[in-house]
Amino acid sequence: MKRETDYGHPIKLVYRPEDIEALDYERDLGDPGAYPYTRGYYPKGYRDRIWTQRMTAGLGSSVETNKVLKKYREMGERGGMCVICDRTFAMPIDADHPLGRKEAGVLGWPGGSLLEFEELMDGIPMTGQSVTLLSTCGSGYLQLAYIVAYAEKNGVDLNEVHGAAMSYPFANCFGQSDCQPLDLNVKMFLDSCEYAIRNKIKMRSAILSQHFREAGANNAQALAVEMAMLNELCSLLVYERGLDFDDVATIPFELASIGTRFFEEIAKVRALRRMWAKFAKEKFNAKKDRSCQLVIAVHTSGRTMTYQQPLNNIVRATIETLAGAIGGCTAIDNATMDNAHAEPSSLAARMSLNTQHIVADETGVTDVVDPLAGSYFVETLTDKVEEEAYKIWDKIEEMGGMIAAVEKGYIQDMVEEAMRERHREVESGDRMVIGVNKLVIPPEEDYEIPIKEVKPDDSEQIAKRMEEWKKTRNIGLIEESLSQLYEDAKKGDKYNLMPSVIEAVKAYSTAGEVMGVIRKGRGLSYDPFNMIECPFEFE
Amino acid sequence: MGKRKQIKVIISMIGLDDHSVGGVVVSSILRNAGIEVIYLGTYQTPEMIVQAAIQEDVDAIGISSHGSNYSQIDEMIDLLRKKKMTDVLVICGGTIPKKQISRLKEKGVSEVFTPESTSKSIIEYIESNVRGTNHG
Repeated sequence: MKRETDYGHPIKLVYRPEDIEALDYERDLGDPGAYPYTRGYYPKGYRDRIWTQRMTAGLGSSVETNKVLKKYREMGERGGMCVICDRTFAMPIDADHPLGRKEAGVLGWPGGSLLEFEELMDGIPMTGQSVTLLSTCGSGYLQLAYIVAYAEKNGVDLNEVHGAAMSYPFANCFGQSDCQPLDLNVKMFLDSCEYAIRNKIKMRSAILSQHFREAGANNAQALAVEMAMLNELCSLLVYERGLDFDDVATIPFELASIGTRFFEEIAKVRALRRMWAKFAKEKFNAKKDRSCQLVIAVHTSGRTMTYQQPLNNIVRATIETLAGAIGGCTAIDNATMDNAHAEPSSLAARMSLNTQHIVADETGVTDVVDPLAGSYFVETLTDKVEEEAYKIWDKIEEMGGMIAAVEKGYIQDMVEEAMRERHREVESGDRMVIGVNKLVIPPEEDYEIPIKEVKPDDSEQIAKRMEEWKKTRNIGLIEESLSQLYEDAKKGDKYNLMPSVIEAVKAYSTAGEVMGVIRKGRGLSYDPFNMIECPFEFE
Repeated sequence: MGKRKQIKVIISMIGLDDHSVGGVVVSSILRNAGIEVIYLGTYQTPEMIVQAAIQEDVDAIGISSHGSNYSQIDEMIDLLRKKKMTDVLVICGGTIPKKQISRLKEKGVSEVFTPESTSKSIIEYIESNVRGTNHG
């Protein structure tokens, strides 16, 4: 059995004062609420504000997802809601696209139009809680437009809405469904973030190490890639879009994937706070304290949840939730016991939210801020993971930054290598996973848990509804707004398309139509899969 | 293996599923075992996979699946039947719920490998069940 961190650093039997001899409290840690924020952003920690306790929703139709969101509130979701998009909206293509109709509502919410968003949010407050919509660049573009249009239509003060709607352009290198080309994704990311900043809309963009980590990356790689992404994307917003860094810093939020290696995970989160704070101050001369505080939410790792003996996953999620809470975070959403089988059943969701509340209310973790600071072991791990991450990050910068590293295939190779290594470690028994390579039971003796399924019929229903509904829209209004979008899309990367996307969304153009017209304006095919023709004629 | 010609398989994702870790890992496992693997990657339709199977004259098709609604695997099997390619072994792998496993097998999938499966079991199954073997 390996006695080393997940990035290969050997772990000693005992850690002693000399291991952290070089540690300078003010310089390296600081009190909670003080630079470099290793110990967290809030002097009073969770006593002032408990982390947002949420569950990610999204499966089947918008109406179904709305019911689940309301159910999660009853089950103890507090502070915010979180929805993930389905595979059609992730592309984005429409539910009635030949490929879309087979997978609409699979693994997420089919947010193909403003109508879907209206159904999703029916009876759910837009303000007074964070609204987090996980997606891709294309669907993030549309989600920001939905929020603007919905607020306007329903008399909600847009400046009171907060959360996250946009997304970063690299997720499809890490196994996330999204078929748009990188340059277009980067443009959509920049357009949507610039629009939010200039219009003072408190919507963030996901810039996540989670997907990369879940695909197999270790903690040092996750920190390095997170920082490389933040550097690339913030630099583009500052230098290409002419925005002030202190405004740009209000955009990113990180979702850290937390596995079962308890101390290493805590160290990672602490190291990331310090890395971002130094980066913000040293590279961009951040003027505001807030700009040095990267918002970090926690997702307990789906990858660690096993197919075998799924009840064991409740224990894993508990360890991970506690690590996330101790590491310090603004929000937690849990992977559930059935994560390796299906989307969360009602029982699994309840267990996940209960887990968070048990950790928050019964362990005493909210009483004290950064309780492991000063631990010889945890401080060593914090330094180590940071040191290793800087080495990898430097390599990415030497290649020309994150976009260049993706274009050269370096990041993708890193992911593939990491996947194989994880598999090898488990199969060889170097890493123990209970129920997988230790205390294994025959499949027929394994216990049954409730499994939530989406049937092909459900996808077809969503597709049919869209097909029928499309015919009832005011086509004149749609054509007018889409032809403006088409003209604007020809104006080049720096011309911000958000205003015309918002108009198209208000006219109830669908995600597939908006995306198709933008693609067409940029000289790409209307349909990324070349199966349908553009239904509109321009010029 | 002896004198028998090298086994050739397709590993592919199907539809809009982009959770490719399993497919990538299994491809390397099979390659290391001396099996020729054509990894088609993501966003493959049933038609594209069957077309590739004809062109490459493969012995088996492996579909890696995560949270799909599985209807496209059904379609691929129907298509193989239509093309009279029933000697091509179809296997699936992924986080597939137990109920789906029996349904897929009834439909014509030879074997479904879940995260419970070892590398060895996948290799052995392919080696002893593709066409030209005693079972295949």
